[in-house]
Amino acid sequence: MAPIGSTISTPRVEADRLARTGGLANLKRRPEIGTFLVMIAVVLAIAFASHGTAFNALGVKNNLSIIAQFGIIATGASLLMVAGEFDLSIGSMIGFAGMSMAMMLKWGLPFGLGPAGPASAFLITLIMTLALGWLIGTIVVHSRLSSFIVTLAFLFFLRGITEVCFRGINQSTQISGLPDFKQESWFAAVFGGESFQWLYSLWFRLGGNVNRSGLQWVTGLDARVVWWIAIAAVAYLVLSRTQAGNWIYATGDNRESARANGVPVNKVRIGLFMFTAFCATIFAACQVFDTNTADAGKGNLKELEAIAIAVVGGTLMTGGFGSVVGVAFGAITFGLVANAVFFIPAIDGSYYRVFVGIMLLIAVFLNESVRKRITGGI
Amino acid sequence: MVEPLIRVRSLVKQFGPFTALNGIDLDIYRGEVHALLGDNGAGKSTLIRLLSGLYRPDGGQIFVEGKPMRFRSPRDASKAGIGTVYQELALNPLMSVTRNFFMGRELFWGTKPFGLLRMQEMDQITHEEMIKIGIDISDPRQAVGTMSGGQRQTLAIARAIYFGAKVLILDEPTSALGLKQQMEVLKTIVRVRGRGDIAIIFITHNELHSKLVADRYTFLALGEVIGGGLSEELAGEQVRHLMAGGVEMKDLVKELAAARNETFRHAS
Repeated sequence: MAPIGSTISTPRVEADRLARTGGLANLKRRPEIGTFLVMIAVVLAIAFASHGTAFNALGVKNNLSIIAQFGIIATGASLLMVAGEFDLSIGSMIGFAGMSMAMMLKWGLPFGLGPAGPASAFLITLIMTLALGWLIGTIVVHSRLSSFIVTLAFLFFLRGITEVCFRGINQSTQISGLPDFKQESWFAAVFGGESFQWLYSLWFRLGGNVNRSGLQWVTGLDARVVWWIAIAAVAYLVLSRTQAGNWIYATGDNRESARANGVPVNKVRIGLFMFTAFCATIFAACQVFDTNTADAGKGNLKELEAIAIAVVGGTLMTGGFGSVVGVAFGAITFGLVANAVFFIPAIDGSYYRVFVGIMLLIAVFLNESVRKRITGGI
Repeated sequence: MVEPLIRVRSLVKQFGPFTALNGIDLDIYRGEVHALLGDNGAGKSTLIRLLSGLYRPDGGQIFVEGKPMRFRSPRDASKAGIGTVYQELALNPLMSVTRNFFMGRELFWGTKPFGLLRMQEMDQITHEEMIKIGIDISDPRQAVGTMSGGQRQTLAIARAIYFGAKVLILDEPTSALGLKQQMEVLKTIVRVRGRGDIAIIFITHNELHSKLVADRYTFLALGEVIGGGLSEELAGEQVRHLMAGGVEMKDLVKELAAARNETFRHAS
């Protein structure tokens, strides 16, 4: 021990105070590690409790169907939250988009422009929802109101419009028995058809995926799984590897300093409100073209599930930080638990909501500690 | 006589009936630290906002390298080479040092706004620029939130210089910092001055800090220049006197004594 007052051989510098860490410690710092561990635990628990039926050929298909639904909207919600905003209108946007497509498919194009095909119904709906997303974003940006209150208004407004249109034109708040477009139209099949048939054929050839008569049992996954993977991959790339991603982080972290450095914070936010509207439209299109039905209640409460999954995936409520990979893990976890009742008949389906509540609270505390760690406790 | 980098002539700024600046003259030279001193409300902030393009003058002229300038926005001012480092620094604590350094001016392949970030190149440049200014950050990917206040100030200064600032306006860079970190910022100022090609306008309330680094002083009071000059021409007493807006220390002592008597009378 050197006596006080003697010179210290190597002076300590400020940089030394940040502990240098190795590979494992770096892994622990990743925001998605907590969600990843929970996901593994849930997969194992459900596999065990369902005696494997949750992960047989049909189980995987059914689980991925709901996981992809969650994943599509949670990815949109998460990117928007990283930029510091919320969108509570996602669920109503799903209902609106589904109504719009199904109405055009049943009653033809608006203003008597003749019958609609899957492509025209989808594209016209997409133009409308993107315009709505732009409108929501523009109101938030220019009114300086909280996005919470503006999108809450649109939650009610869009749900109301959906019901009014249904009753006014269709005399009923649901449409069922539309023609099975995905059989003839490749465009409809892109949303409502199947994907990964090759994987299921391979599974059959390797001896699994067999039904009682010895033929191939399940033919493929839902098409929306591809949409989920594509949306998540693009979102990951944009957020972590592109200039726009840097702008999204900067906008959510400290909007004023981002603005001072020339980041177009208004365009970033409006663009992301349009992106959540896009995700909601894809969600609705997959539903409409898969089931050939629509209902005014579709998408109810989905906005809150999307936000919950985003938070469990490591997205900060206050913006500026989040992980698309973590959100994918969160979607898998929530999808499996939501579906668990079909594979484990003994449990009550409402435990899903109990699970969501507990997970959400734990995640918020964990995220806060991550935030404190990376900002040095500010 | 050397041509000043910035020449300000009879600059006037009014807010309705209130005259914030009443004909300011100022010369800023390369390689010098110019301390801008004055009490609260003297017009320092208005002056730097005019120089950084946030306000437009109601009279007078700003010349940069001899050319008359009309700044319509902060962007115009920064294009002309005036870099302002505000007290709040415009940094984002959750983002990495590199991402902060290049915020809004990222290097990328491809087309805006979805160009792929040239992350390695940006990391390297950030690391090099920080070493040049005197801070060896071990990891440019660490969050700015983990840096000390002095390091953050230095990062904001390094960023302004890298993106072409010929004049650095530092708005009270040492306030709200601990003693050691204040020294760190002063060291940074001295290093930047040492380059010789950059002018620094240093706004402070701290007489000691200005004495440690300033080459030239300008004192403002009630929207006018009340004095100034090279540091070797000014005696310590004079600096303090001008900083207080021309009030004599003796007067202050008298006023304090009077106030003390007043309270005494109330109490008894």
